[in-house]
Amino acid sequence: MSISRSKLSKMTNHAFLLIFSLVMLYPVFWWIGASLKKNEEMSLATIWPKVPMWENFTKGWVANTEYTFTHFFTNTLVMEFWNVIGAVFTSAVVAYGFARLNFKFKGLWFSILLLTMMLPSQVTIIPQYIMYNTFGLTNSYIPLVLPHFFGGGAFFIFLLVQFIRGIPRELDEAAKMDGASVYVIFFKIILPLLKPSLVTVAIFTFIWSWDDFFGQVLYLSSIDKYTVGLALKMFVDQFEVQWGQLLAMSLVSIVPSALLFFFAQKHFLEGIATSGLKG
Amino acid sequence: MKSNRHWYKRMSFIILAALLVLSACSGKKEEKASGDAKDTNGALSIMWWGPQERHDATLKALDIYSKQNPDVKFKPEYLAWDGFWSKLPTLAASKSMPDILQMDAAYLDEYVSRGTLEDLSDIDLNGIIDPKILDNLKKDGKLYGIPLSHNGQGLAFNKSELEAAGIQLPQKDWTWDDFFKFAEDAHKKLPKGKFPVTDNSADWTWYQYYQTSMGKGPILEGNKFNLDKDMWMEFNKIYEKYRKEGVVPPPDVQTAFLENDPKADPMGSGKVMTRGASVGSVSVLETLLPGKVDVVNVPTGPAGGGWAQPTIFLSVSSNSKHKAEAKQFIKWFISDKEAGKALGLTRGIPLSDEIYKELEPTLQPKDILSKKLEEAAIDKALPFYPAPAGWSEWVQAYDKEMQAVMYGQQSLKDAFTKLDDLGKETAKKLEGK
Amino acid sequence: MKRLYSKASVDMSNIPLQQGQADLEIHTSNPSLKSRLFQRLTKKRSDETNLAGYIFISPWLIGFLLLTLWPMVQSFYLSFTEYSLLDEPVWVGSENYSNIFLKDDLFYKSLSVTFAFVIISVPLKLFFSLMVAMLLNKNLKGMSFYRTAIYFPSLIGTSVAVAVLWRNMFGADGYVNQILGWFGIEGVGWISNPDTSLGTLILLTTWQFGSTMVIFLAGLKQIPTDLYESASVDGAGAIKKFFHITLPMLSPVMFFNLVLGVIGSFQMFTQAFIITKGGPVNSTYTYALFLFEKAFKHYQMGYASSLAWILLVIIAILTGINFAVSRYWVFYESDGRGSK
Repeated sequence: MSISRSKLSKMTNHAFLLIFSLVMLYPVFWWIGASLKKNEEMSLATIWPKVPMWENFTKGWVANTEYTFTHFFTNTLVMEFWNVIGAVFTSAVVAYGFARLNFKFKGLWFSILLLTMMLPSQVTIIPQYIMYNTFGLTNSYIPLVLPHFFGGGAFFIFLLVQFIRGIPRELDEAAKMDGASVYVIFFKIILPLLKPSLVTVAIFTFIWSWDDFFGQVLYLSSIDKYTVGLALKMFVDQFEVQWGQLLAMSLVSIVPSALLFFFAQKHFLEGIATSGLKG
Repeated sequence: MKSNRHWYKRMSFIILAALLVLSACSGKKEEKASGDAKDTNGALSIMWWGPQERHDATLKALDIYSKQNPDVKFKPEYLAWDGFWSKLPTLAASKSMPDILQMDAAYLDEYVSRGTLEDLSDIDLNGIIDPKILDNLKKDGKLYGIPLSHNGQGLAFNKSELEAAGIQLPQKDWTWDDFFKFAEDAHKKLPKGKFPVTDNSADWTWYQYYQTSMGKGPILEGNKFNLDKDMWMEFNKIYEKYRKEGVVPPPDVQTAFLENDPKADPMGSGKVMTRGASVGSVSVLETLLPGKVDVVNVPTGPAGGGWAQPTIFLSVSSNSKHKAEAKQFIKWFISDKEAGKALGLTRGIPLSDEIYKELEPTLQPKDILSKKLEEAAIDKALPFYPAPAGWSEWVQAYDKEMQAVMYGQQSLKDAFTKLDDLGKETAKKLEGK
Repeated sequence: MKRLYSKASVDMSNIPLQQGQADLEIHTSNPSLKSRLFQRLTKKRSDETNLAGYIFISPWLIGFLLLTLWPMVQSFYLSFTEYSLLDEPVWVGSENYSNIFLKDDLFYKSLSVTFAFVIISVPLKLFFSLMVAMLLNKNLKGMSFYRTAIYFPSLIGTSVAVAVLWRNMFGADGYVNQILGWFGIEGVGWISNPDTSLGTLILLTTWQFGSTMVIFLAGLKQIPTDLYESASVDGAGAIKKFFHITLPMLSPVMFFNLVLGVIGSFQMFTQAFIITKGGPVNSTYTYALFLFEKAFKHYQMGYASSLAWILLVIIAILTGINFAVSRYWVFYESDGRGSK
């Protein structure tokens, strides 16, 4: 009896999840269909076009006479690689400092950390640009990548602080008993337990910096440096928009993030099966 | 002791290593960049917006110029419209505007009034551009942008559907009375859900066409504000009536329109039979409704109607270090035959008749439609009155207050009072500067 | 939980102090010695942790001083100027601020639009994210697929395509209205109606709850399963488990999502910018959009900077309240749980 009940509940779970996923994805189905339509067909209410214009994808990929989307994807992926490395390495370090150590003015610095998130970026963009321009760093990826090496952003530092505070202090204290310094505690105790959150940091850094249009438009001038996001904007002009190609390539540009999320799930959602207190 | 320093060293080493590798990686790219940013050996930086065709054509033209003038190199940058106008103020603020930049009439005054653009009236354009056109564009005798193509404002209409419904088509040089009669007649003959005209109540330029064509002058000119109360009330009461009778789309349909969007364009979606269009943009309608579109000029009054003059320019920034070379290039850009061939119609109908004649055989239906609109607009054209520097907030207020009227949230009288007060206040502020 | 350390009873007087000395309970019978030792220990320890603390936060600190501080100071200075970006800033003192509070209707309008947005969308998003996270916390086959599918909308975030998508869903002849039509309900143009347009943006934000949900999921995964097991043994049902185990253990993460949710939604800009442009009749004119247009459309960066700093104060006050109240409902595992 109990076996079939659990099977039933499994089936209902599956059914529910499936329906829910479909509802969430429904606009995306429309999107895929629309990306295959001609401009004239866009106004029709159909999901699927009469004749799928696969060339929206091929033409869209080729994009530019000088560079194809291969080039733009490469640019973006290299940038993302460095962003993720920077964020993952430095955010845990900084978060540990705030979460576990007591030092003078800690409260002040933490408040400042949060404050930096509260000032709308639209007003710091210009002074920041002028600053980078003075050092000749415009038309390069440095302004985009460098901030990630300085803690990865207040969001992630705060996130990790919360996760670290969820780790029992007994672990720290046990290690201290064995003569471990704060550094050892960080590397040997806290960091391994942070693995799930660090993968979260990596994924979000990847996804969010992919989309940073304003920063990219300002700091990347020559087309050979363009990211996917900038290249996509080339399809949208003052009057005419090449909808098919725009939608097609927008869809393609999401694929890396989706794939990353799909495959990384195992690593960051692996639960702590035990209470974590391994002697 | 030891363990402490050991970990400290290790951490800082990791961070340092990361930074080093990072800078090495982008170092290659950086070299190119820093080279360009500080170079003073004749490389002209040039920035424009446009669709892909324009980028390709322009790059080709730049190549041709470099071949003809081997000591001139370019540093081109090209963006889409939105990105361009976000980036340009940033460049201006950091004093790094490009040597040569494309300019639009809607933004020109803001940039000119703050001294960011160079006076180009010393370029000799005899025989290339009609001096009358240039005079129209001069501000206090100075020319801040060299025009690149014809533009003008008119009305596009869905010829096929109008004919099918037995409605008389708009004729060239029609008057405002003709326009209103057209709207009312067509409304009777069109099926439900289709409208003869759009509700332009929130568009200040539409009313300005009316006011100027009646000889009362523009609403905004320089620092001056002139909104004729009686005329404005009379004009807008007509649209109020039209909203009640369904001659124009209801407000939630009207505000959902998005020009040039295949699904949301007023004409493209099949909902409205006419809409305003410019020479530069009407070609898009042709691609949305192939073969169905025809054009006419803006309704005229005793003083004329609509406008016809260039709105896209090439300008030189006032802190450019290569002004002479820039000016030379611009002159070449609009007069050289090879350049003209390479550029084609990517910036519209060229001003040089010679170049246009060479391109005539290559015209596509959408280009022919543009040309037709230009010809329709030019006879009765009045000057073009874009919002001058400092008036952008009044324009935005016009849009918002009139939307409130359209949605029934506000009376015409209240809207007028607000707009009139704000206009007078703005004029005073600008006058005092 | 087992105690993993043992209390030591030791005579401290002969033990040389080393850095990183473990926490020892000091048992001596000599009170003054005890206090002197304690002071030596704590001073040495606090010096050490001071240095260690700064070393650990140095990446952020250096970055802040190098890259962030100057632009923030600059923007504060600019808030006292008139600055078109195209020419030099001109000092005007507190004129911007007084104009904002005394003369600017749009300031109050955009503030009310934004407050409405925050008050509705933050709880909504938290609620849905948590529910979905719990749903996705199970171990069913194909869970990876489901999670990706449900997270997918958040990926399309701020692309141009979102605007197209949303208009097609909620426009007057969009899909939502078509579906409503099956039930005989005549829908309105949701996006172009001043009464409902903000609602469509709230819905969009809620639809993109992915990141909040993922953070909840990570938090859920960190709850030791043996807590649930021992609760089951004690006969607790699902609801009891939720309120007595899940919520308290999740409270740090919930707090995080709440604080960040408030900070983020006050600055909502992109959705309003690309879908409604603030209309109709300013019904979706969020504060950040207002600020952006002041800076880049009306060439008044000085005024925009003043607006930015006012917003910062508002958000800071609310966040401060959040933090103050948090001690009543947020429970940190690492703060004095001791043994079970």
